Amino acid sequence: MAVKTKKILVPLDGSKNSIRGLDMAIHIARQSQGTLVALSVKTVPGIYAIHPLGFLDFNSMTEVKKLLSEAKVRAAKKGIDLTGKAIAGDPGYDIARFANNPKNKIDMVVLGARGRGSATEIFLGSVSNYVLHKSKKPVLIVK
Amino acid sequence: MTNSFKKILVPIDGSIYSEKCLERACELVDAFNSNLILIYVVEKSLPINLLDRKEYLNMIRKFGTKILEKANEKLSKKGITAKIFLKEGNIVNEIEKIVKKEKCDLVVVGNKGLGSVSRFLLGSVSNKISQSSSCSVLIVK
Repeated sequence: MAVKTKKILVPLDGSKNSIRGLDMAIHIARQSQGTLVALSVKTVPGIYAIHPLGFLDFNSMTEVKKLLSEAKVRAAKKGIDLTGKAIAGDPGYDIARFANNPKNKIDMVVLGARGRGSATEIFLGSVSNYVLHKSKKPVLIVK
Repeated sequence: MTNSFKKILVPIDGSIYSEKCLERACELVDAFNSNLILIYVVEKSLPINLLDRKEYLNMIRKFGTKILEKANEKLSKKGITAKIFLKEGNIVNEIEKIVKKEKCDLVVVGNKGLGSVSRFLLGSVSNKISQSSSCSVLIVK
């Protein structure tokens, strides 16, 4: 009753760590009777926006959607509502923007310590770090 | 599973941000029935060593115990008992040590503290903890 985290944002990228983050978010949501919002960002390098062959990449949105439906099943097993959202863009920037948007009413962001990004930092992934710095909502980092 | 937070560590420094953390930690304790550990670290950095350190350290120690007592009072009003530590040394190192020693599951830190030269949005200590700690970290904003 006490935890006022009604809506939890869980960014997913298909890595093991993000699944761990999802499990943790499910656990917290069960305690506080909250709902989950899963956000999956398809990385689109900026160049594709102006590149004529950019459209070739767009059909891989299906991979992202599959990921979201898997997450939905996982949450439904534990009796938690999960709404999925797929976006194309830069992961760090879009996650932070989604979290900060007052329309979405996000109370907490749950992140895996690192995802699929290449080894930019030894312990914390670059996306996690970016979200951590830029989001105005509480961030839980799952290790 | 490692999903339940059995032990929650809250480092405090007397700032508004750390008070916010404490409230958030209380909520978690209510929800998860976990143990709470409070820690205040007296910083011993190089410039302090060069100055008149005895008097200065005494002042900080007094300040630290005062803050810990205050926090403890607040907690006992809510019916929560907490373990209390007062440590001396590098802030991040000491917090890490406690995390390992007590096998904490979660560290709750504010996004800024008392550090004067902090990063634009995230304090230096919070940043270091989130980078290097071996357990989960909740950054309260």
